[in-house]
Amino acid sequence: MKFIKKHIPLLIVLVVGVLTLASYYVPNKYSVDYLELMNKWENIVSAFAFLLGLISLFYSHYNKIKRKTDGWGYSLFVYVGFLAMVVPALMNGGRQMVDGQVTSLGWSFRYIYNALSATMFAVLAFYIVSTAYRSFRIKSAQAFVLFVAAFILILGKVPLGQIIWDSVLGWTHTGIDQVIEWIMSVPAVAGKRGIMIGIAIGAVVTSLKIIFGIERQYMGRD
Amino acid sequence: MTEPWMIAGAWLAAGLTIFLFSFLYRDNPFFKIAEHLYLGAGMGWWFQVYMFNIWKPKVWEPLMAHQWGVIIPAVLGLSLVTQFIPKISWLSRYGFTFLMGYGAGLAVPAGLSTDFMNQIAGTIRPFSALASMTPFAIFNSLLIALGVVCVLFYFFFSVEHKGSVKKVSNVGIYFLMVYFGAAFGNTVMARFSLLYGRFDDLASFSSRGSFYATQIILAVMVLYFLVTGFTKKPQQGEEEAH
Amino acid sequence: MKEKLEKFFKIDRRWIFLLLAVVLFVPILKPLGLPNKTISRDTQNAFNYLDKLPAGSFVLFSLDYDPSTRPELQPQAIAAIRHAFKKNLRVAVVTYIAGSTGLIQQIFEKLPAEYGKVNGTDYAIFPYMANATAVMTQMASDFYGIYDKDQDGRDAKSLPVMKGVKTYKDMAMVVNITGTSMLDFWVAYVGDKYKVPVVGGVTAISQPGYGPYLQTGQLKGLIGGMKGAAEYESLVKEPGKGTSGIDALNLAHLLVLGLILTSNIILLVIRYL
Repeated sequence: MKFIKKHIPLLIVLVVGVLTLASYYVPNKYSVDYLELMNKWENIVSAFAFLLGLISLFYSHYNKIKRKTDGWGYSLFVYVGFLAMVVPALMNGGRQMVDGQVTSLGWSFRYIYNALSATMFAVLAFYIVSTAYRSFRIKSAQAFVLFVAAFILILGKVPLGQIIWDSVLGWTHTGIDQVIEWIMSVPAVAGKRGIMIGIAIGAVVTSLKIIFGIERQYMGRD
Repeated sequence: MTEPWMIAGAWLAAGLTIFLFSFLYRDNPFFKIAEHLYLGAGMGWWFQVYMFNIWKPKVWEPLMAHQWGVIIPAVLGLSLVTQFIPKISWLSRYGFTFLMGYGAGLAVPAGLSTDFMNQIAGTIRPFSALASMTPFAIFNSLLIALGVVCVLFYFFFSVEHKGSVKKVSNVGIYFLMVYFGAAFGNTVMARFSLLYGRFDDLASFSSRGSFYATQIILAVMVLYFLVTGFTKKPQQGEEEAH
Repeated sequence: MKEKLEKFFKIDRRWIFLLLAVVLFVPILKPLGLPNKTISRDTQNAFNYLDKLPAGSFVLFSLDYDPSTRPELQPQAIAAIRHAFKKNLRVAVVTYIAGSTGLIQQIFEKLPAEYGKVNGTDYAIFPYMANATAVMTQMASDFYGIYDKDQDGRDAKSLPVMKGVKTYKDMAMVVNITGTSMLDFWVAYVGDKYKVPVVGGVTAISQPGYGPYLQTGQLKGLIGGMKGAAEYESLVKEPGKGTSGIDALNLAHLLVLGLILTSNIILLVIRYL
């Protein structure tokens, strides 16, 4: 049983991983055929991974309703929202437009999903402002450098800021857009590139560990 | 969709938008409803996209046409779902290992070439053309090289930050700070842009054509807060969304 | 005095929320008339790259953003697609984010008609696909191995717009507009590997992170955030939501700077009082 439960999955990850890796360095007819088959299969397998999120969301809210926990009534709206998308989709075969007319699916996207999803993230704008007011403290030389970079970017990205810069620092004959260009293409590149190289090394090591079965946390416990 | 549907849509969208924003003042049932609708609607949208773009054309239709090959990925995909059934959850490993093996196999060469080799090459390459560069460009290239080395020092010698190593990695921190500062500045702009998007929609819903949806719903929400503010004492912690 | 200042510091943050709402909403109703003027190097490069393609070249647009980043990215996508239509390029659209299908639909509702472009002949829209890296790898050997049909269920290979296109070799460039890390995938799994020119359009948040790719030429150009959208709009001479957005952001940007400065000055005064 251990063979079926553990060893075969580890063999799958090893074989698929090594073959995929090898196909990068040894391009020939066989490796292309292998990759083509994998690409098509991976596409389908990934499409089912979505069900994991769906089931766990439904399950947790189903439990809330069943146990009548605090605010269980709101959980009903999870299902209402779901049906508000799926029912119109079934009615229109997944089409948002038919003969130049917006279908009920297109309508649901525009006025329900779009409004909700966009607003959820728009709310963050308020928090970043109050955080900037309450927590942006210039207490060290490092924090000062961070502040200067942030200040120049916030100021220089809008025309009004550019006007202010020119009226105060116009005598330098350096536009704030040039300063931003320099920050983004010199010191910021150095900072990000250091992070990038560091992460790349980590990612390559982790990937190799996965292929060779050393890293297997994603498989869950026995 | 006809004109009345579009007006109804404007009212619905304006309402949901204002309900979600109302949390900024105080938690309330309207916000909670909209929040839960969001979770469901997101899942619903994705579900129908998967259904009509992949499950139906890539799995169902080939099966109906007796192309049995798709059974293998379909079964592997379905095996993922066994995760929720403790007794047979080990089956999901077949699907996961299949995904992980392929992903890791692709990631190794891509990571090595794109984010490692190419970045080192990009740092060194400018120096092969020194003769044709302006002094400022040479200075910039040197600065990038210096910065990359210092940042890497900061990351990889994190244990023994002493003496000259400490100095070098300290310089690295300054480069990181410039990057984070730039990122923060840009984040402010990004967040404001998203808020602008919502406000712009609300402004369009406030027109006569939409029967002043924004103004009326906003007024009703304010009234709601006024009434509930007077009739019940706000509970601890609910007073403001800290 | 000190206590008064400290009190000011601990102001109910909902006042700040209200202030932001006002400075952002008022300019929407009454524009300041201060549109974007500068063009950044990376946007200019993105524009130039598309601009110099000969008419009839095939450009793959990967539009991977959902409503949560729509205000920044939809104007970018619209401006870039307008540009492609103006230059009579062939356009194909793919996506790996389920939420973007609705937004893609909205772009192509009216835009093609303005330029007399026909679905299937001048442009094609392909359905959403899962596992982006797998699909990207597949397109290197056979586009139709994954995209056998377009969004409307028509046979993809026989669409006039797809004539002579089978792999990346037949494409002039890839334009990826995204609010996710999809651009990293396009650079690593396609641009670098198969030597395909890639141009990106990203949110302002992720823009600074692409500096290294721009310096090495792994990215040919980059449109960043709403400012990038406004820049591209002015380059194609079609002002849209990016242009009006920048105008509205003017005051809010100054507000946040004012708040950071105020709080730090108060802090200084409290310390030395």
